[in-house]
Amino acid sequence: MTSAGEQLQPRANVIIEDEKPRELSLQECLDGVGISQLSEWDVLIFVCRHGASLMSADKIARLIGYPSVIVSDVLDRLEREKLIECSRPSRGVRFFRILTSMDSRHWLYLRQLVSLSESRAGRLQLAERLKAPLSDSGRKEQAS
Amino acid sequence: MAKDGLIKTGIKGLDSILLGGIPGTNVILVQGVSGSGKTLMGVEFIYRGVVLYNEPGLIVVFETNPDKIIRDAAGFGWNLDELQRQKKLQIIFTSPEVFDQELRSPDSLLLETAKEMGAQRIFVDGIGLLKNNLVDSHSVHRTYRELLQQLIESLNRENLTAMFSLELCNPHGSIAAAAESIDSIADTVIQLARERHGRRVQRSLEILKSRGQDYEGGAHTMYVTGGRGLEIFRRVQAPLPAKSKQPTSSIMRSVIGVEAIDSLIGGGIFDGSTTMVVGVSGVGKTVLATQILREGSLKQKTRGLLISLDEHPAQIIRNAQTIGLNLEEQVADGTIQILFESPQELDIDSHYARIVQLIEEQDIQRMVIDGMTSYSTAIGEIGVYRDFFHAMVAYSKQRLMTTFFNYENPEFLGISSYMPDFPLSSIVDNLILLSLVEINNSLHRCISVVKSRGSKHSLDTREFVIGQGGISLLPLEQNPVPALPLQGYSSLLSRAPTRFSLPTRIDNGATAEGKK
Repeated sequence: MTSAGEQLQPRANVIIEDEKPRELSLQECLDGVGISQLSEWDVLIFVCRHGASLMSADKIARLIGYPSVIVSDVLDRLEREKLIECSRPSRGVRFFRILTSMDSRHWLYLRQLVSLSESRAGRLQLAERLKAPLSDSGRKEQAS
Repeated sequence: MAKDGLIKTGIKGLDSILLGGIPGTNVILVQGVSGSGKTLMGVEFIYRGVVLYNEPGLIVVFETNPDKIIRDAAGFGWNLDELQRQKKLQIIFTSPEVFDQELRSPDSLLLETAKEMGAQRIFVDGIGLLKNNLVDSHSVHRTYRELLQQLIESLNRENLTAMFSLELCNPHGSIAAAAESIDSIADTVIQLARERHGRRVQRSLEILKSRGQDYEGGAHTMYVTGGRGLEIFRRVQAPLPAKSKQPTSSIMRSVIGVEAIDSLIGGGIFDGSTTMVVGVSGVGKTVLATQILREGSLKQKTRGLLISLDEHPAQIIRNAQTIGLNLEEQVADGTIQILFESPQELDIDSHYARIVQLIEEQDIQRMVIDGMTSYSTAIGEIGVYRDFFHAMVAYSKQRLMTTFFNYENPEFLGISSYMPDFPLSSIVDNLILLSLVEINNSLHRCISVVKSRGSKHSLDTREFVIGQGGISLLPLEQNPVPALPLQGYSSLLSRAPTRFSLPTRIDNGATAEGKK
């Protein structure tokens, strides 16, 4: 969208809450939202930044560069963890949104993480803490 | 939708160009090159629909991150997040394939969302991306035109007023083959342009077509204004909507308040008339303008407007003060307004709109434009300059406003043409000439009324002086010129004032012409 140049105001963070967060450690936030894999974080942040995404898991996978099966698993997990909500399926697509009724503790952790991921240093920190997604062979091993 | 069946866009200036809005069922296409303001127009169409007309809306994007749309909208003071929370707006990020499929699906999530919200408007950003989606979910190959028709049919079925944006590759607006289809299927086509004029970049908007309605054609100026959004300024040259009768006044009034000068003009000029004051720099045009506005404000209780591209208000007030013309009070109480705008990068459409807005808000009855030469230089294009002048005269007459245009003639002594750069003197009602004449070794100021339609004006050229209180005519019998009174000269306006010879008496009592 065409912007008004310098007069643009920075948008308030995606997740808005009146209460000012106390400083939380990165691990505390990750544990708080129940995220341990980089793929989980990448899917969560995609859903968070796109408001209401109407698409298939496969399309999200292509957009963020993960195998479809991983993204499907992650979406299910995030829904179970009550971080995102998914609509009923319609011809293979669903609405994916951040759960608006998320409890305040989760909001706090998530907001801190989103804020951290806005800088490169923060993203590197996150990447260091989170496990890379398993390859297909790794997934099979884990399953067995 | 309004009672007249028109959808108001709510975008400043656009509904006026559309003569009220867009017919309710029209499919709207906004096309233009990258950076011309298409997405902004679509987002504002939805935003204004929600906040001004309580018409919830959907924004569908294929490539732009919704987060960025929300961020950029915040720069214009639009809180899209809040509207989403209130379920009056939904920004949907999807793919062209899914969008196409959803509009044709009986259990469509998108249409279900639209229904739940009571959506009445939808903006689809980047309709051109659908052209890669010509095979449908049943492997049936469609033309791009068929795909668009299906899409429009679905949206119409849901009573959604649709606006699509389409990116043109060519800055001159030629449309790629695939895009031609939507151009012909859409009912209303709005073209946005972003063009370079010298070192300046200017945005414009043109309505190429709009079925079922009339609209103001041509390229109108478009601004993207931080904190507000889009602003469209009707092009100056567009004719005013026709009125049944041109108002005409038969009231003649004193304009300057100096009896001698008013009598020269035939006792005054008609209310609602237009007057051109022509003269070289320094001859007293601005002083005359100041007197005209003060006279109106103090004695006739008319509100005045002085427009200048040359001097800012403080300077005008100071200069007037030095000759005992106090403007400060009138400016402070608003009976005289001063509009100053720099001639640098002057955009004439928005400037004209500001003048009109000021006139209407302040109920201005007397106006002086000081001066036209600065417009000529600032505008550059003679056609636009002429259009501005014609529009100003037409508007002034429509409102029965008494208007003066000061024109600086470049010729120092005497003039060979009233307006050498572009002859417009024929369209004004009155023409006053202020001249400098050289007598002996000093310059004298003179005033002549060359034309005054409908009044019996004097054709005498009279000397005037500028002193405390402004301009005053020198009485004929008290001419201070030591050599001869002004009437003792001929050819005052022809660059070479010449003394009449005095008759000399010869011995037999007859007279003979003396030497010149």
